[in-house]
Amino acid sequence: MHRVKNIEYDDDDLYAEDEEADGEEEQAYTDEDRQNFDDLTPVVRAELNEAGLQASDREIEEALYYYYWDVVKSVVHLKNTRTSRPRQQQAKKEKAKSKFDQAAERSASKTGRSSSPPLPAAAWFDGIPWSTVPPELEGYLIPVDPPRARSKLLGGSSKLAKLAEERRKKAASSQTAQPVPDTRLSSLDRLSKPKDTKENVLPQHMKQEPKKYPIRKKRELTPPPKEPSPPPEEEPKEELPNLRASPTEFACTLSTPTSQAARASSMTLGDLFGSSTNEENTFKGPSPDDTILRAQQHSKDNAKATKQSANGIAKKTEALKLDQTPSPATPTQPKIKSKGLDVPKLWVDGKAKRKPAAAFVVIGHVDHGKSTLMGRLLLDTGAVSQRDIDKYKKQATELGKASFALAWVMDTGSEERERGVTVDIAQHHFSTNKVDFTILDAPGHRDFVPNMIGGASMADLAVLVVDANQLESGMKGQTREHILLAKACGLKRIVVAVNKLDSSSPPWEEATFKNVKDEVTKLLTATGFATEDIAFVPCSGLNGQNVVKPVPSNGETGWVASSSSTLLQELERSASGNIAEATIKASLRMQIADVFRGGITNPLSVSGRIAAGNVQVGDSVVIQPSGETAAVRGIEANSDGVEWAVASQLCTLHLTDIEPQHLRAGDVLCGASKPVPVVKSFVLQIQALESILPQGVDVHVGRLHASGSIAALITTLDTQGELLKKKPRVIKAGQRANVNVTLSDGGAPLEVGDRVILRANGSTVAAGKVERTGS
Amino acid sequence: MRLIKQTIQKKDGSGSATLLPEEPEDMWHAYNLIRANDLLRASAIRKIVKESAAGSRSVDRVHTNLTIRVTKLDFDTQASQLHVSGRVAEENKHVTLGSYHTLDLELQRNFTLEKAEGWDSVALDTLKESINQTAKAQLWAVIMQEGLANICLITEHQTILRHKVEVSLPKKRAGSSDHDKALQKFYQTTFDSLLRQIDLADPKPLLLASPGFTASSFQQYIKTQAASGANKQLHQLVPKITVAHSASAHLHSLSEVLSSSAVTSKLSDTKFARETQLMDRFFDLMRNDDARAWYGPKECEAAVERGAVGKGGGVLLISNALFRSQDINTRKRWVQLVDEVKDQGGEVRVLSSMHESGKRLEGLGEIAAILTYPIENLDEEVGDEHGGIDDLENDPDGSAVNGIEGRSEAHEDIEI
Repeated sequence: MHRVKNIEYDDDDLYAEDEEADGEEEQAYTDEDRQNFDDLTPVVRAELNEAGLQASDREIEEALYYYYWDVVKSVVHLKNTRTSRPRQQQAKKEKAKSKFDQAAERSASKTGRSSSPPLPAAAWFDGIPWSTVPPELEGYLIPVDPPRARSKLLGGSSKLAKLAEERRKKAASSQTAQPVPDTRLSSLDRLSKPKDTKENVLPQHMKQEPKKYPIRKKRELTPPPKEPSPPPEEEPKEELPNLRASPTEFACTLSTPTSQAARASSMTLGDLFGSSTNEENTFKGPSPDDTILRAQQHSKDNAKATKQSANGIAKKTEALKLDQTPSPATPTQPKIKSKGLDVPKLWVDGKAKRKPAAAFVVIGHVDHGKSTLMGRLLLDTGAVSQRDIDKYKKQATELGKASFALAWVMDTGSEERERGVTVDIAQHHFSTNKVDFTILDAPGHRDFVPNMIGGASMADLAVLVVDANQLESGMKGQTREHILLAKACGLKRIVVAVNKLDSSSPPWEEATFKNVKDEVTKLLTATGFATEDIAFVPCSGLNGQNVVKPVPSNGETGWVASSSSTLLQELERSASGNIAEATIKASLRMQIADVFRGGITNPLSVSGRIAAGNVQVGDSVVIQPSGETAAVRGIEANSDGVEWAVASQLCTLHLTDIEPQHLRAGDVLCGASKPVPVVKSFVLQIQALESILPQGVDVHVGRLHASGSIAALITTLDTQGELLKKKPRVIKAGQRANVNVTLSDGGAPLEVGDRVILRANGSTVAAGKVERTGS
Repeated sequence: MRLIKQTIQKKDGSGSATLLPEEPEDMWHAYNLIRANDLLRASAIRKIVKESAAGSRSVDRVHTNLTIRVTKLDFDTQASQLHVSGRVAEENKHVTLGSYHTLDLELQRNFTLEKAEGWDSVALDTLKESINQTAKAQLWAVIMQEGLANICLITEHQTILRHKVEVSLPKKRAGSSDHDKALQKFYQTTFDSLLRQIDLADPKPLLLASPGFTASSFQQYIKTQAASGANKQLHQLVPKITVAHSASAHLHSLSEVLSSSAVTSKLSDTKFARETQLMDRFFDLMRNDDARAWYGPKECEAAVERGAVGKGGGVLLISNALFRSQDINTRKRWVQLVDEVKDQGGEVRVLSSMHESGKRLEGLGEIAAILTYPIENLDEEVGDEHGGIDDLENDPDGSAVNGIEGRSEAHEDIEI
């Protein structure tokens, strides 16, 4: 153990550390050792004297100790040290002494410092594992070598060191000149010799080294790493130019991927690191594309651009440049630009050229032939080809419903065709020479009255179809209810088509027609239709008699030809197409009748009738009650794209910038400036059709079908609107009254004057207008 | 609910009743039984914070029986849970007198109730009704129209809307199958929602009601699903489906459905059938402007005062929402009215405010009467004043009636 430390002391030039060890060692000599020293020292001295050499007791003792009391070996050693390399031995001795002798130590420390710069070297390797390995540990490997081996190694190591030095010199001639004298070199080598033996442990550590000092990677393995000579700080400085120079631009472009890979592998970590940092810098900031995107998104946010580092400056400027260019472009790009047309003016200007347009709702009791009559009308006006009818006829025959073929023009739903009942409103367009017509074919079944209300609210006039042979059923049923609803929806003009006269018995009997006419007139006038607004047309929808084509003026239908015009003529006469300019200039109101996918290019479309105002492509509209805004992307009227549309027109609006869940049938699409308020409760002035108590009701406003309740009966009124009774306990059928209506879930877009129909248990109980709205 | 023990004195109504709620519906009964100021004893879990001398705090959860003086009730209709807040009326080693606690009544755990002002006739009737162990009718109803379906659970005393399906359907359009596709999707959505609600292992009768063919189409859809799908339990559901007609998919149409013969034959609930019948009769009388039918608190009180709601067809229809009033005097007023009608030999029907007939009554001011003889202009005599129930009228959803109010500030809240 002691010996180890001693030798180690030689190796290591950290004197301060060794001092501590010295004291320990002095104490460490045991009594036995001293005994041996006493016995053997004179023997050795005698031997040395014989050889004419002088040696101190200490030297002898030391030698003996090293050679395990072997006198012969000690003598040889002492002789060797004294004869062959006296100077070196001297130095060594001095050093060795230093351990024990304070004076000697001082001198030794001086020589040590002057001969080599050990501390800077140690400092340089500070932090690198092999330099910080505690000296005690380093020393362990040494004692295995017997002293003879050591002498051999001394020489060998110096050779190696020389070789290494030569190589180094050759390799890096430009490197700091190492003016190490030969003698000094050898002494140094000897000093570092044990290290060489240790070197076999080090290669792993060494491998790290080359990474720092590029090119020299392989060579560094051989020289003792503790070589103080090359000041490490200088090395990278000197090496770097070499490095940078070797892969020229040209070489880079020429080099194949493999050679590049080879180059990469031969590169030291430092190099790699350097280059990789360069690469990192390239991608550190956002890529130019990203920058552009970001710039477009946050056109005002320049902060992000400034974030970029050194070589990002170029990008920064780029970003800024891009900032300015797309930002004015982006808002306009996805939007549809409004042409800013003066729609009311265009409407007035084009008035003379335009054909009047009219939408009529076809109402009447179920199975009175509404759909069939309309199919006939469309077929005879040429809006539907005979070929289609033949196709329907074939399909209908397969289902055993041949007589429904004409109705299938309107009844497009699979369920409707299967069951032979119209369920929902069918919309169809046709034109005559005089008027553009839109048919709204309402269902007659009582369960689908809500749909009929939706249709009636979109129409300008009504066509009531009455089965001449089934008058009674209708008068009790939906003929009556539909008339009431048509009136409640604000329709003024009504054309009554007395249908199926061909199948009455006898066919085309005038008396039957008269009877029907009288009955229906009575009902209509009672409901409030003026007699001049009522027209009667006897016809047969299935055969098409007196629908479009007039009936022969002879035979059984002679009276028809002489007394009445055809249904189409009557309709043309009824179509006024008059609309007040004020309505067109009002704020936009359009109740959505349907939300659907208008096609691939128009994924979201709504249809309905514009109740007030006008709309043009590019307009921004508000949907109530959701309150969401949307942009009008396109307008279609009668399946033709148009630039604008005005009140009373039935049109389809293609919307963008809105999610479909914000759109429901019954919602109101309004101008962004003045949207319809959403109300939860309102006062309604009603005409009671049945006795009314505070009760749950279905609230219908056009297509809107909401659940609500009559919360309170406020007053009953007489026909003049004068107050009859406050807080009545019941409102009897036929009475006029004000009631408070509350909607159950959410509010509905309602304005004063909106027409509301209240239904309960499948029948209409009241109809009226909104008197005032609450919250 | 099972009556475990009762010590109610016939004479003055003092004493307590120990009850064991067994099914969610019992919570509804408990909600109608327990009043403010009553003493309620039930098991509770209480969080006890102990502070040692060294200042370290430890929190223990202790099972204990607490007696509270009720201040507030909170009934959650969807979960059928009843939370009763109050102040501790009996001290024990964990809880000090007067501290606040909210009891969550649990199924299969006894609770003991002692009435503050004794058990009155209405409370006793409610108690009797709640411990009635005869088979209870339960029914699922899907009331629908195209694009809208309300899935409800109808029990003897409640109609609970469990799910609402609302889909925007595109209307029919020539040359487009979007409507049919959307309709199929609507059926699918409704069907999925329904399956999430019902217990297929023990299928209750299912009622499908709609205008038009929607309900029958939906029934067909379920049949197809049962035939094609892997869900074997669906087969058991199919024969339990009844299709009925309703005017719309809105909940108030349910009364029409429930009074239809297709449903009454399936519902063994005679109580409900009788109530519906009485309500219909009342509405018929009203429509005919018969002076024997009156509604509203003042009018009914006046009629009872005159002895018009007595023997020979006098019926008082009253919603149990009135008895849930937090105000003792208001409650007493209605209890007295009920007692008086009973004394006169009239019929008293306490309608559940959660049930369809009760909902219809709600619009009339929670109370209506069919008189034995007509009284004209009863309303003019009682004056214009309609007061007394305005607070209830202002609440169409009945949320206040259901007592869904904010929970008390959690002084010392309980663990759930």
